[in-house]
Amino acid sequence: MTARSLQASEATPLRADELELLGGGRVAADAVPLRLRGVSKRWRSDLPLVLDELDLALEPGTSTWVGGRNGIGKTTMLRVAAGLIEPDSGRAEVWGVAPTENRTRYQQLVSFLPAGDRGLYARLTVRRQLEFWARIAMVPRDRFRACIEEAIDTFDLRELAERRVDRMSMGQRQRLRIAMTFLPRPEVVLLDEPLTSLDTEGGVLLQSAVAELLGRDGTVLWCSPSGEHLDMTFDTHLMLERGKLVSA
Amino acid sequence: MNDTITAGNAFLAVMRRDLHVYLSYRTRLVSQMLTALFSLTLFYYVSRLVHVNGFGSSDAYFGFVVVGISLISVLYSCFSIPELVRQELIAGTFDRLLLSPFGAVRSVFAMTLFPLVYSLVLATLTLGLGCLVFGLHLYWPTVPLALPVMVLVLLAFVPFGVLFSALTVVIKQGNVGTSWVVALLSIVGGLYFPVSLLPGWLQTIAKIQPFTAATDLLRHLLVNSSLGESPETSLLKLAGFAAVLLPVSIFILARSIRFGQRRGTIIEY
Repeated sequence: MTARSLQASEATPLRADELELLGGGRVAADAVPLRLRGVSKRWRSDLPLVLDELDLALEPGTSTWVGGRNGIGKTTMLRVAAGLIEPDSGRAEVWGVAPTENRTRYQQLVSFLPAGDRGLYARLTVRRQLEFWARIAMVPRDRFRACIEEAIDTFDLRELAERRVDRMSMGQRQRLRIAMTFLPRPEVVLLDEPLTSLDTEGGVLLQSAVAELLGRDGTVLWCSPSGEHLDMTFDTHLMLERGKLVSA
Repeated sequence: MNDTITAGNAFLAVMRRDLHVYLSYRTRLVSQMLTALFSLTLFYYVSRLVHVNGFGSSDAYFGFVVVGISLISVLYSCFSIPELVRQELIAGTFDRLLLSPFGAVRSVFAMTLFPLVYSLVLATLTLGLGCLVFGLHLYWPTVPLALPVMVLVLLAFVPFGVLFSALTVVIKQGNVGTSWVVALLSIVGGLYFPVSLLPGWLQTIAKIQPFTAATDLLRHLLVNSSLGESPETSLLKLAGFAAVLLPVSIFILARSIRFGQRRGTIIEY
């Protein structure tokens, strides 16, 4: 039983022995693709909490937008959700499992696009970058080549495939970064200001990738300061204010 | 089984990535070979000029020092790992490694592969230059044994690079201490002269660290020089360092990454 089929069968109560093992850990009956439980984070003891017992639960096949002014903590929230940093209290869970409990499985299910233009090897070509990422994302051998070609096609990188990253424009690099984010076919995608440097065409490609993810019951959490995100429609709109999420 | 193969492929992918980055700098090998050639030329003429007690001939000292020069590239490659980690931190690619199923600890270990293999190639080329240009005589009956011993030497030395990488993750500086550690090891390891010339207290340091055992053993195998201690003792010393320090370095690296994640400083550079 996969995590998704577990979710689909939630209408009928699950017996304990029906609960799916997720990489060695039992999935709780209330498990969702991504949950932040009472997450608090403070950068220094003399500074206010960036995240203050923040709660968030994302259902399968849903998209959520989180806005808020610069420096309010959106990126911190995404970093906690991605498993990059640990909260002072509370926990991030993917299908009930925290990154500290099964990091490999957690990172297989979650993919994070950080803001900015970092995270690329300047001297590698687009294809080699994608191949490297697919390898360390531990994409199975039988899917490896198909994943690379699919990422190249989905994000219109065919003409750039043999070009080195340091010879590409910012928008082209962003398209590559997004391609890397979607390449391993994660269940949860965390996007931090994904439209940065993207032209309209790039935005449309991103929109299609998000639609495809939602179509296979994936989950998207999209953060940006304002609500300008093309024609994207989200199931939930939230704002981060004083460390807590409120309806937008 | 499949996971092991996938992880193995990830290991090799890191090495392949480093190879591609290396090849994108086309003049690097030529430049490094020229450096080796100049060092060999310098010591070739020093060996002709100075008579050192304990060496029967100028050629004997030259053979002694060529092996030392070859080994220093291996030593440098081990201590280059922290700087590589720092470059990953600056480029934001360390985050990606950390957020990959392969993980940061395995990635850092995989990052040691290319520099180590490359340093072996460079050491071999240096020895080859010594033979072809300066008439160095290798002791061929035991030369093949140098390869497995070199692998053991690498296993004993990689943990030092990993430990400094752990420090880099915490303090965000790549070369703190590494240059003076390499300089100190080149002195107490007897790279350019026999450790018997050193004062007593430095000879003690020479005996307890693994580099002296490594250079002694490899010199014995490559140019048939005499050994300061039995080969078994040298091999045990190297194996002991590898067996103890490898798990310790893995543990400390994992702890330093976790420390950065808790403090939130893992994202800083």
